[in-house]
Amino acid sequence: MLFGIKNLTKVYGGRKVLDIPELSLEKGKVYGLLGPNGSGKTTLLEILSFLLPPTTGEIVYDSRKVDFSETFLRGLRTEVVMVEQQPILFTTSVYKNVEFGLKVRKKPKEYRKKIIHEVLDLVGMRGFAEASAHRLSSGETQRVAIARALACSPKVIMFDEPTSNVDIENQIAIEGILRDINVQKGISVILATHNRIQATKLSDSIIFLFNGKPASSIYENIFSGSVRRDGDGNTYCLIHDKVRLVVRTDKTGYVKISVNPKMIKVFPAQDIPSGDHGFVGRVIQLTDEGGDVRALVDIGIPISVLLGKEEYKQAPILTGERVALVCPPESIEVM
Amino acid sequence: MDILLDSFISAILLLKSLDAELYAIVFVSLKVASSSTFVASFIGIPTGFAIAFKEFPGKRTVITILNTLLALPTVVVGLFVYTFISRRGIFGPLDLLYTQKAIIVGQVILIIPIVTTFTIAAISQIDDRYRKTAMTLGATTLQTAVVIFREGRFGIMAAVIASFGRVIAEVGISMMLGGNAKGFTRTMTTAMALEYDKGEFILAVALGVILLTISFTVNLFFNYLQGRARV
Repeated sequence: MLFGIKNLTKVYGGRKVLDIPELSLEKGKVYGLLGPNGSGKTTLLEILSFLLPPTTGEIVYDSRKVDFSETFLRGLRTEVVMVEQQPILFTTSVYKNVEFGLKVRKKPKEYRKKIIHEVLDLVGMRGFAEASAHRLSSGETQRVAIARALACSPKVIMFDEPTSNVDIENQIAIEGILRDINVQKGISVILATHNRIQATKLSDSIIFLFNGKPASSIYENIFSGSVRRDGDGNTYCLIHDKVRLVVRTDKTGYVKISVNPKMIKVFPAQDIPSGDHGFVGRVIQLTDEGGDVRALVDIGIPISVLLGKEEYKQAPILTGERVALVCPPESIEVM
Repeated sequence: MDILLDSFISAILLLKSLDAELYAIVFVSLKVASSSTFVASFIGIPTGFAIAFKEFPGKRTVITILNTLLALPTVVVGLFVYTFISRRGIFGPLDLLYTQKAIIVGQVILIIPIVTTFTIAAISQIDDRYRKTAMTLGATTLQTAVVIFREGRFGIMAAVIASFGRVIAEVGISMMLGGNAKGFTRTMTTAMALEYDKGEFILAVALGVILLTISFTVNLFFNYLQGRARV
């Protein structure tokens, strides 16, 4: 077992941002840590990277119970490296940035040179070795940060949203690097992302995190709104003062809701059913998702709909097309 | 305008004449200012770094006190040091009064708050990701501190430049603790004060022009160093 977690909590300013009763991660795998912004992904990664102590709880790493004393943690940090969402490079050359981890490990000069060229090759940045680190683009910075982490020959690498700030070309390159790291080097990878497709594509296993807690599945289509009641006794959630979604809840006031994309029905725009559950919107994106089709529809708010293969074949939709959506109350969870 | 033009011409003539007294004054000024900047940096930079890097009770109070000390008048420092090094003071037997060492002691006291507060500001502005990055790459606490120091080096250099500028231009401490002894403790500023007292305005302003030229040269040098370091 790589990590074993029991009753882990992290509290900031009286607010519990992480609460994980139990979690275990195996060696050599790629784990996707999936959750919306603010779900505690970064905090969990920082705790697992031994950069941040938990408030309470127990962590076992590689059969060793973690004692959060600085001396003990420093030893563990030589095995676990984290690449931040927006990594920062030291104010020096790319070469010296990558050399840092090797220098602190007191590796000889010739060995350092060999490794630096090897890892820069792996991330496709060999030609930038002598470049000033601060003159790189965000995609290049991300790749150098990955090379810098790899140079340390870690057993585990944590990636916090590695492609959230890069263009599509770099995104594809980085995803390829992540796969290679795991397959070729056997390094365990924990990848935090809010991108479901990326997590599915890259991970052996996905851990869903919501409000700091592990969830059984990912909550999607999360919106903030306020629950109100109209004159007819209907309860609805008003989102951005634009969209009224009928919900079944006793809660009132400001809430977060999640709409299950599999339970949303799609019809031609002219066939919009009467009542409060139907909306007309425009299809703005269609993505293949392992045979299923994910449609992003703008109904005043962007809402994601997952259509089964057969369902899509029977009633195919196109981008730019106007469609009607029905979000039945049972598709909406008030959190 | 005439006085400025005459002073500028006098300054050039003074420099051209290779006047031994003038060069002695410039040399004493540079020696004293450099020594006090070096000593104050030696004390102030690590102190500022430690204050910025570590969390401890009373940190804000310490910073407030240091900020207050930035407004320390040179005359107050002069009087304060005088009470210690005068013949009746605790350090009287060391015979420091009216020596270059006395000026250095006073100037060090004057600029330690400058070096320290500027260093605190420089280090506090360093992105916390540098600390986390160094740590996750396996650095020890000391190695992490070195990384932060390196990243804050431009700000720290600014602290040194500001301190040097403060001491090369001050007159109170040099006059009170140095005594303006010709060829020994006479600095550019005390010489300017003397020439002014004598009514030699042109010579006083000429010395001022030389002082500014030296300051400018020193700043150019530091700028060059900063540029080289900024890879």
